[in-house]
Amino acid sequence: MGKTILTVDDASTIRKMVSYTLKEKGHEVVEAADGSQALDVLQAKQVDLILSDINMPVMDGLEMTRQIRSQPSNRSLPIILLTTESEPAKKAEGKAAGATGWIVKPFNPNQLLAIVDKVLN
Amino acid sequence: MNEEIQKQLIKDHLIESFEGLEQFDDLLLAIEEGRNDSDTLNKIFRVIHTIKGTSGCLGLNKLEGVAHVGENLLSQVREGQIPATKAVTSELLHLSDALREMLTSVEQHDNEGDTDYTNLLKKLGELQSNPEGSHESTPGTLSAETEPATPAPAPTDEDAGFGLFDSEPAVEAPPTPAPQATNAPEEKSSSEETKSSVADSVIRVRVEQLDKLMNLVGELVLSRNQILQYSGQFQDDSLSVAAQRLNIITTELQESVMKARMQPIGNVWSKFPRIVRDLSGELGKKVLLKMEGKETELDRTIIECIKDPLTHIIRNAIDHGLENPDQRDAAAKDETGTLLLKAFHEGGQVNIEITDDGRGLNPAKLKEKALEKGVITPNHAERMGEQEVINLIFAPGFSTAAAITNVSGRGVGMDVVKTNIEKIGGSIDVITELGRRTTFRIKIPLTLAIIPALIVQSANERFSIPQVSLLELVRLEEEQIKADIEIIYGSPVYRLRGNLLPLVYLNEVLEGSTSSDSQEESQSESINIVVLQADGKQFGLVVDQIHDTEEIVVKPLSKQLKHIKCFAGATIMGDGKVALILDVLGLAQQASVISEAQEQNLNGADSNQAASEEDRQTYLLFNVHGDGRMALPLNSVARLEEIPRENIETASAKEVVQYRGQILPLIRVSSHIPGGTTSTFTEGDNTLPLQVVVHTTGEKSVGLVVDSINDIVEETVTVSRKSDQTGILGSAVIQDKVVDLLDIEGILKTAEPSFFEA
Repeated sequence: MGKTILTVDDASTIRKMVSYTLKEKGHEVVEAADGSQALDVLQAKQVDLILSDINMPVMDGLEMTRQIRSQPSNRSLPIILLTTESEPAKKAEGKAAGATGWIVKPFNPNQLLAIVDKVLN
Repeated sequence: MNEEIQKQLIKDHLIESFEGLEQFDDLLLAIEEGRNDSDTLNKIFRVIHTIKGTSGCLGLNKLEGVAHVGENLLSQVREGQIPATKAVTSELLHLSDALREMLTSVEQHDNEGDTDYTNLLKKLGELQSNPEGSHESTPGTLSAETEPATPAPAPTDEDAGFGLFDSEPAVEAPPTPAPQATNAPEEKSSSEETKSSVADSVIRVRVEQLDKLMNLVGELVLSRNQILQYSGQFQDDSLSVAAQRLNIITTELQESVMKARMQPIGNVWSKFPRIVRDLSGELGKKVLLKMEGKETELDRTIIECIKDPLTHIIRNAIDHGLENPDQRDAAAKDETGTLLLKAFHEGGQVNIEITDDGRGLNPAKLKEKALEKGVITPNHAERMGEQEVINLIFAPGFSTAAAITNVSGRGVGMDVVKTNIEKIGGSIDVITELGRRTTFRIKIPLTLAIIPALIVQSANERFSIPQVSLLELVRLEEEQIKADIEIIYGSPVYRLRGNLLPLVYLNEVLEGSTSSDSQEESQSESINIVVLQADGKQFGLVVDQIHDTEEIVVKPLSKQLKHIKCFAGATIMGDGKVALILDVLGLAQQASVISEAQEQNLNGADSNQAASEEDRQTYLLFNVHGDGRMALPLNSVARLEEIPRENIETASAKEVVQYRGQILPLIRVSSHIPGGTTSTFTEGDNTLPLQVVVHTTGEKSVGLVVDSINDIVEETVTVSRKSDQTGILGSAVIQDKVVDLLDIEGILKTAEPSFFEA
């Protein structure tokens, strides 16, 4: 069944790409341009999975992850961070912040669908 | 992913990246000025980071590779491992150029192009390793140009490029225990709409879409005008209420659409810091660029039109206006020159000022150059006012650059700038203070699509006159026409508060009919004069009727009519009929009230020859047959004499006197000008001596007999209207009275042809 997935990225092209890919599989996709907007969305909307970039203005993906984890209701909300191979250290930081998984940018639609399936099932 | 989506994504990526790079450039320049706080560094890092990431996802590997190397360098700068030196920012600007080039290639040719960036990548790499030998990722840089760098070491299913941190809760727990009741989220869902869509609160609209919208609104405005006019003809309340409502809504809609097309002028200005940086570097000058009023908005079509003129003025200011540091130092000025861009709204127009605190314009030098280039004649030069001299920079074929540099002076001069600005209904002025500053002030309308205009009627046709050129309206009743309109040798002028205003009859200009028709017609009743300004000069346009002012929608003229310079376009009136829009400048030229022909006239003319031109000279005033006031430039007068009548003798049937041992022929002025009589001197009751003006050329002299000599005045005389009457050059206002200027040469030719014999 379709799930609601929140994509967080300051690059609108990436958001759209994620959105197209997941919508084709019957998911509902909500977009936010940075961590702080994502937190706003969470307040208002029930979300099944978050796909988030790390380096963003206002609030980055790591801080967002920490804040989400600090809310008891969101302890188990899956959060996948988009990392880049140029910043391997970020992966460890993501883990420490409480992220569920990671996907290396650049990724292709198949990789994206694979990890989403893996997390949701 | 299907191809269409991929294409759309690439398009989005291009727009996003171009915007990002523009910001990137700006921020780099800010860093060069010393603003390298972590926020700025983060921002520029993120731009390249985003381009890299998105390019990778979209399969643009070359872009990704180049961006990657830049990202590495930026990452070190951000961490403070490398200082943001000028070498670094310069190279990063080159990076931005390279990325832009590839993006452009993707946009135009669907591929990243085959430029080789090895050099750039090498330099970016060197910058990383050189300053205190950086740690990671340097060796990877070169390989990056072909392939994204190989993944870093990490735990689980590495090759898949993703994975889960196999820690605690992850999947099992069903999401949302939701303690805050189930309908709470429902309630909030409306606010969610707005909040979650913050990122989408700004949407992109195609420019064509906006243009189409504007066009449709234009049509709607026309229909509205028709309905308003129509509803006025009926005494139907509900119709007029509906029409009023339509009126209000249309106006509001029009404003909103216009606003949607507005862009802050900063969009154009954003290119200037880079231009100023590169140019000042090239010329070895120090320039500080300041901008005020970046957020001032104007229509995008106008933004397009002013881009090049502004760029040109700025290049000029840096190249010619600002001095180099040594010269500034010598002039006790700050080594760094300031270039100030300022924009603001005023009176429904946008004002843009470009000020440099450089050497200013030197009138003497300008004059010299203009003479050298043949833009003006020596004669003309002598009589020019200072502002007039300064305005020479706008003259065609004029350029102050001693040599044509590759900075400015690329064949387009300020004349092109001026023409381009005037094309969009704007104007440009220059104000300068020698040694201190030069300011170019540009005034342009907010929009070109819908303009306020005055509707006039002439020969049963309606015309619209753009309100920007309109100064005032004058209506003359029958008796005033006689009193205030002076027909000076076939050319009517109206004395408006002491100034002679040449009149142009619209009927005459458009139909080519003889002047007498329209004049006789209009003289019978009252006439309407529309006082217009074109090219800094005023003239009065006489029309049959003046209607209302109206917002008109400008429609371009078709190809066949475009060459007619009297018309700027057409519009559709409330009753559905077409009205042509008058091009005031073109009209004035057609009617020769301000034409170049006149300038030529001047250039070829003697100083005492008539034409409409300001001219400070000394004149001798005298009367001929009774109260006919005439004038003669004093420099053509040798002496004034009183000669007793009994001294007159006759030689070869001509009247002469003995004068200083010579025979002085006498000429009665009154018999050589219109309305004169031919009585001889010996007749008449008068025993008073004759008043004689002696005119000498070379060895020869002649005596002009006049009724009385009145005065000698020095005045700035506006000579208007050349005369085709013998004996008279033209007319001018001297001491608030219209005075005819005597044509000595013409009179001598008929009365004393031997005067010209060698």
